[in-house]
Amino acid sequence: MTLSDEKGDVPAHAERSAGAVLRARGIRKSFRMGDRRLEILHGIDVDLLPGELVALVGASGAGKSTLLHVLGLLDRPTEGEVEVHGRSAWGLANPDRAAIRNKDIGFVFQFYHLLPELTALENVLLPAMIAESRRSFRKMRKDYTERATGMLERFDMTKRLKHRPPALSGGERQRVAMARALLLNPRILLADEPTGNLDSATGERVLDLLFEEQRLRGLSMILVTHDDRIAKRCDRILHMEDGLVLADSAITIPD
Amino acid sequence: MYRSFISLRYLVARPTNLIGVVGIFVAVGALILILSIMTGFLEESRRTIRGSLSDIIVEPYFHGFVPGEAIPDRPGPMLQTLRGLDGVRAAAPRLQWAGIITQSGPDADKFQQIFSSSTHASLLVAELVGVDVLTPWRVAAPAIALSTRARAWVAPDFRIQDEFDATELMGALRRVAEDEDKTQDPDDELTELFGRPRAPVHNPLFPFQPPPEYVRNGRPLASCIVGKQLFRSLGLARGDVLEIGTVVPSKEKGWNLNNRRFVIAGTFQSRDNEMDAARIYVARSELADFLGDSKTFSQTLVRLENYERDGERLVREIRETLEERNLILGGLNARQEVRTWEQFRINVLRAIENERVLMGIMLSLVLVVAGFTIFAILSMMVTEKRRDIGILCALGATPRGVLDLFLLIAFWDAIVGATLGTVVGVWSAIEIDSIERWLSSALNVQIFNRNVYLFDHIPSVVQPVWVGTIVLGAFLCSLLFAAIPAWRASRLDPLVALRYE
Repeated sequence: MTLSDEKGDVPAHAERSAGAVLRARGIRKSFRMGDRRLEILHGIDVDLLPGELVALVGASGAGKSTLLHVLGLLDRPTEGEVEVHGRSAWGLANPDRAAIRNKDIGFVFQFYHLLPELTALENVLLPAMIAESRRSFRKMRKDYTERATGMLERFDMTKRLKHRPPALSGGERQRVAMARALLLNPRILLADEPTGNLDSATGERVLDLLFEEQRLRGLSMILVTHDDRIAKRCDRILHMEDGLVLADSAITIPD
Repeated sequence: MYRSFISLRYLVARPTNLIGVVGIFVAVGALILILSIMTGFLEESRRTIRGSLSDIIVEPYFHGFVPGEAIPDRPGPMLQTLRGLDGVRAAAPRLQWAGIITQSGPDADKFQQIFSSSTHASLLVAELVGVDVLTPWRVAAPAIALSTRARAWVAPDFRIQDEFDATELMGALRRVAEDEDKTQDPDDELTELFGRPRAPVHNPLFPFQPPPEYVRNGRPLASCIVGKQLFRSLGLARGDVLEIGTVVPSKEKGWNLNNRRFVIAGTFQSRDNEMDAARIYVARSELADFLGDSKTFSQTLVRLENYERDGERLVREIRETLEERNLILGGLNARQEVRTWEQFRINVLRAIENERVLMGIMLSLVLVVAGFTIFAILSMMVTEKRRDIGILCALGATPRGVLDLFLLIAFWDAIVGATLGTVVGVWSAIEIDSIERWLSSALNVQIFNRNVYLFDHIPSVVQPVWVGTIVLGAFLCSLLFAAIPAWRASRLDPLVALRYE
């Protein structure tokens, strides 16, 4: 994982990017605000290796969420390229890109973003419903339901399967959102301040679960956070400021 | 999979969607009901007109002939020609002329009063129609005596009876006899004022026989049969004497004023109220005599063996044959001179058909209103569900999927609304008569006045093709109006929704 680094070690860079599950090059993103053009990202390179857990830290307005959305194929960069498993995502047709978002990338948002009309279990099943046609979903419904129920049970949600989001606490909602993100076994997980809306005890518990899943599944994960303590639990930390990645530091985990 | 699942969930979870369902339901139900009733009216009117009209009407243009080449003024040659055609069952001549009721004697004052009121002034002018009917001395007495006593409508197997059947009078007389048993409306003011509205002829086989109430005083009078409405409005009774005046062309004086007194033998009841208010039937020979033998017939009515099968062919054949034999003017006029019953009454049938189309168009507006409701609700929903749309996109939904999702909501609206509308519409169309009776008694208002219309029930015919068209229209309308908000939803930027709570 690196920044746009003029004096970067080219061979090392090439080596890293060769095995990356998610690779972004020269990402620029700007918005038009009236007559002005507001540039949020100023050319960022990112490589995410298999099983790597990366923290993305920076002040508000540094462009963390925008970068995450670009990496998650939700937002088209003004310039630059994003590759998922070696395929250039923005060169693909819309449905193919949607399929990558559906199967290869899991999202966990700060505000959970569950559908209020659906129960916890149905919310978790949503990616499978999107992935499958009506017929194939019917055929596999049992499998999916078992998988979703199993995950929710692991997250201590056994008694909350049939509850709708408004009846759940913040921590519970975030656990549902995590189960939803993991249902289709994506290789990449993008988490945008997953504990930002939770009290510290609940946040801690949610985060433990998230890290545990990441480790067990060998997920490549980018975690946006303000909290240095959380960042220090990651393999690497990307510091962002004013639309640039200023520092890329590997953390040495003490024995 | 998610499209139908989520759209159904939205439909159930959001009661505002019911407004769209109700809109479609009302529109589909009302359209089916009204169009069924209009179709019923059309078919019933066709049947009624059909029942009282012969199959083909020949009306020669006497006035169009060059002097010296005039067609025969007696119906004999035409009847002979027509009866000789294959597929023709009967042909009967008819003579029509206009008369004025010129009552004198003890009733004169009463009649003058009636005619001077603006509502009844039109009754003054009567349409005199002369038809050929069996006369007692033309058939064997025993057979007639038998059927007369039994009051049965079994016609003796005589050619002349067939010819009588070709006239409208036969059906009109039968209707009076059939209605005779039905109870009278006790609330009817006219019944109270003028007594019974119907007076069947004494012997339907010989309708122009003088009634038993008639007390002969001097020279015997010819009989006439008066339309139900006229009979009732003038307060007549069977056996009364009616004086009618007319003007007939005369070679010497240009015009002659004639008048004659007729004894009322009974009433007839067609299903056309206007006809019942103006027409007076007499025997054709009597009318010809009354007109000074200036005319003996004006129309020939033809009854076919099978109109549906032979109608078109025979109309052409009759035109050609009669023209060939110089019995009609022919040429471009042939089309007007020889007409089927449908062409003869085309204005009435067209009027009802037009009404049906107009009602259909007006009620389709209800469907458009329902469409607007769906448009409004979906637009609201798209704004409200912005965040959901963003979430779905993040989870892998395509813009096309989002479009489908919102279109499906309109589709469910249409399915539920159209199904309910079809069930209720078809049911109420079938049961409209009992529904109307129940509503009338519950509200104490007469909704359908059976005395005014031609029918004693509300006719209604459910046509599957129309029902299908209406349901299809409901679907198209819903989807069309849903397309704009659905398209807007599919174009939404998911990030705007996801960025902020």
